[in-house]
Amino acid sequence: MLSKKQAIEVLNAGLSTGADYAEIFIEDRTNHGYGVENGEVKTATVSNTYGAGIRLLNKLQSVYGYTNDVSKKGLLSLASALSHSFEGKQEVFVKSLKLKNVKNRHPHIRPNDTVSDEEKIAWLKRGDKVMKEASDKIVRRNCSFSHYVNNITLITSKGFIFKDSKERARAYLSCVAAEGDKIEVGGAGPGASAGFEYFEKNVDVEKVAKEAADSALLMLNAKECPSGKMTVVIGNGFGGVIFHEACGHALEASAVSKNLSVFAGKLGKQIASPIVTAYDDGTIVNGWGSNNIDDEGNPTHRTVLIEKGILKSYLIDNFNGRRMGMEGNGACRRESYKFEPTSRMSNTFIGNGKSTPEEIIKATKLGLYAKSLKGGSVNPATGEFNFGCSEAYIIRDGKICEPVRGASLIGSGAEVLMNIDMIGNDLERAQGMCGAASGSIPTDVGQPTIRVQNILVGGNGGELK
Amino acid sequence: MKMNENIFFVLAKENGFEAADLIFEHSYSLSCSVFHKEVDSLTESDSYSVVGRGIVNGKFGLVSTEKIDKDTPEFLIKGIKETAGLIETNDPSIIFKGSEKYHKKNVFNKEVLSGDLTKQIEVLRLIEEKLRAYDKRIDEVAVVGYDETLSESTLSNSYGLKLKDKTATVSYYAEVTAKQGEEIQTGFKVFASIDPKEFDLEKFVKDVAEDALRKLGSVQCESKKYPTVLSPRTSSQLLKAYLSNLDAEEVEKKSSLFVGKLHQQIASKKLTVIEDPLKKNIFFEYHDEEGVATYKKFLIKKGILETYLYTLETAKKAGVEPTGNGARGARTGSTLHYSYVKPGKKSLDELLAPIQEGVYITNLEGLHAGMNTRSGNFSLQAQGFMIRNGKLAEPLSLITVAGNLVEVFSSIKEIGSDSEFQLNGLESPSIYIKKLAISGK
Repeated sequence: MLSKKQAIEVLNAGLSTGADYAEIFIEDRTNHGYGVENGEVKTATVSNTYGAGIRLLNKLQSVYGYTNDVSKKGLLSLASALSHSFEGKQEVFVKSLKLKNVKNRHPHIRPNDTVSDEEKIAWLKRGDKVMKEASDKIVRRNCSFSHYVNNITLITSKGFIFKDSKERARAYLSCVAAEGDKIEVGGAGPGASAGFEYFEKNVDVEKVAKEAADSALLMLNAKECPSGKMTVVIGNGFGGVIFHEACGHALEASAVSKNLSVFAGKLGKQIASPIVTAYDDGTIVNGWGSNNIDDEGNPTHRTVLIEKGILKSYLIDNFNGRRMGMEGNGACRRESYKFEPTSRMSNTFIGNGKSTPEEIIKATKLGLYAKSLKGGSVNPATGEFNFGCSEAYIIRDGKICEPVRGASLIGSGAEVLMNIDMIGNDLERAQGMCGAASGSIPTDVGQPTIRVQNILVGGNGGELK
Repeated sequence: MKMNENIFFVLAKENGFEAADLIFEHSYSLSCSVFHKEVDSLTESDSYSVVGRGIVNGKFGLVSTEKIDKDTPEFLIKGIKETAGLIETNDPSIIFKGSEKYHKKNVFNKEVLSGDLTKQIEVLRLIEEKLRAYDKRIDEVAVVGYDETLSESTLSNSYGLKLKDKTATVSYYAEVTAKQGEEIQTGFKVFASIDPKEFDLEKFVKDVAEDALRKLGSVQCESKKYPTVLSPRTSSQLLKAYLSNLDAEEVEKKSSLFVGKLHQQIASKKLTVIEDPLKKNIFFEYHDEEGVATYKKFLIKKGILETYLYTLETAKKAGVEPTGNGARGARTGSTLHYSYVKPGKKSLDELLAPIQEGVYITNLEGLHAGMNTRSGNFSLQAQGFMIRNGKLAEPLSLITVAGNLVEVFSSIKEIGSDSEFQLNGLESPSIYIKKLAISGK
């Protein structure tokens, strides 16, 4: 590992041609993965991610490089290659480095590395058994578990060394149901920045598995979803992907700073219905999208994005913050050393409202109940988004009626936020992977049950009657 | 960075492994992007990785690492033993001795690796300038970027097989926004090739700008079923999803749409799809990731399913030869190499000519969420144009297109002649589908 003296030398090599900021990001991550297929262990893997990234900033320019050669020689050669992008004289000098203590706010009672392979596999097999017993129509079961410890060293020309160790683990339980020509899938993926105690205590593996199987079986016999503009009630938990796609990405400084977001210039203005308050909170204890510090060394933050419909804050990294004249707020993230970090979400969710989920359904005469959603995507410049429903029903006269399959929801973020007219009191979060410029990172989405007027529903079942 | 392969294979033998293999990869790339004429990002990277596999008591162990030094062989051996010891399935574990013949071609073009971004930055600035000048309605040039990447890999195993690959890829990409009143539309394009001479700057600028401009004035159409023409890109996207059912493992596990359909009709007679991994382009592969030689073959011939895609394991289980489609990850699966749809005779204009009222689909979004490749059902966000009296009319945005892949490819009316290379590796022309459900208003 690089000594302080060597790190100072590397930073100064990077700064030698006029860059105003330099940082070294070193990562050593070991990941363990287990896969149980149809009741038997099919895969087991160990993978090690190891390397360093160097970033130099010069006003509004950034240069980035990465290598697996984490020796002084390797990093000096990279820093000096990157410095050739600028042609000035050195103005910032690093003379000393101070170790900043990073407090771990996400305790691990049973680190996953200390839990035996057998115990983790036995946990997966409990889920597998429930799915197998759910029906003969379940033709394929896949249960996987993976965990890693990621040891990070971040050294910046502001004179600090941050050392952080992140532990994350995630399970994925999925199945395929088939009957004749019809095939449907169901699945769920609970995860946390925690040890194995999370999976023992907070995840009811039998329940998660049963719900995945039931959902696939139910969709087998569901009718095709009707299409057209409808009132849509979106279930809690992963339903929050609507906010993630419709609004979250467009609040990232990477889009806002270049005026490439529909929400650029809208701070202090009403962008959502007055009943909407939404947060991005990277501090949630053991949260899947939580961190102690972000990838620029700023502490993670609970950020109020929207308060009573008014836009309060963006998600800002230091670099894009320069273009906006604003400070970073702990939102700078990356997948690994192979990615230049930028502004991203952490755990993003709509806060609780006043209605019960039952009241929301009861108040809906005709519409779609999108109980659970799959992923989606958005174009931040236009705000247009889409996402798919994994389980959905028609609501008639205030009651949940027939299930429908193949529904997708399409809209523009700005419109949907204004059209939220009821919010439940059953906030839940769910885990996902979010892909964008700085790679694929763990994020939580979340919301209580909400109702949105006038969403375009795509499906193959004709008009809703 | 180097690792001593021999030490790994000697250790594997000493530890009683039945067989072992290694994939060693190296990648070097230079890239940069320009915003408002300034370089806003520049990246240089040099990275190595090694994946080791071994068969211990008939089971596969798998370890990968990016920390490559004298301790790496022992790290791999230890991890392979541990992971192999956990495997319970009795599926065949095979490390391949080698194909009789490999059709290796040199696709490496050293001109791709300029090693100097100064000239490229000027090219990017020129592209930005031309994009801004293209039309008053071009509101912003969000990004203009360049990348050159060298990829090298060596697959070697304890039977003495050694397969080397070396390619270099150049790419340019750009995104613009166009504005008209309050309406914003985006245009985007990526060019990627093994030959920098193929880059046509003027055409690239035109394609990016027009991609945004032609969407301005978009409306939503009436919701109903329309005769639908899929653009080359969207044809390729839907067909690629359909072809994911070729995976022999999905077939074996009864979760493919093609179960029991080998040598049967799975699409209209007008559809022929050929896999050509040996074509010299960015997708060239003369062997798969298990070391099996690839070859040119029909996947669908006049609507008839010609083959599934087999790995060593699925081929052995089915009692057939592997097809050179193995892909390695945590577990070995299959992958489709570069393929193309056999083009028809009619131009796009001729395809559109008989359609009184229909829809031409140019963009599909959210395929990871709105597409169920196993059931074939999809419901996707789309953009495109109305077709009126045989010609493209007003642009459409925020519409959805829904259907089932089996129905779509069984009801092809016509296949166009306007084939376009696609970055998903499946080249396709426009395809005219009898009817698809489109939702808008």
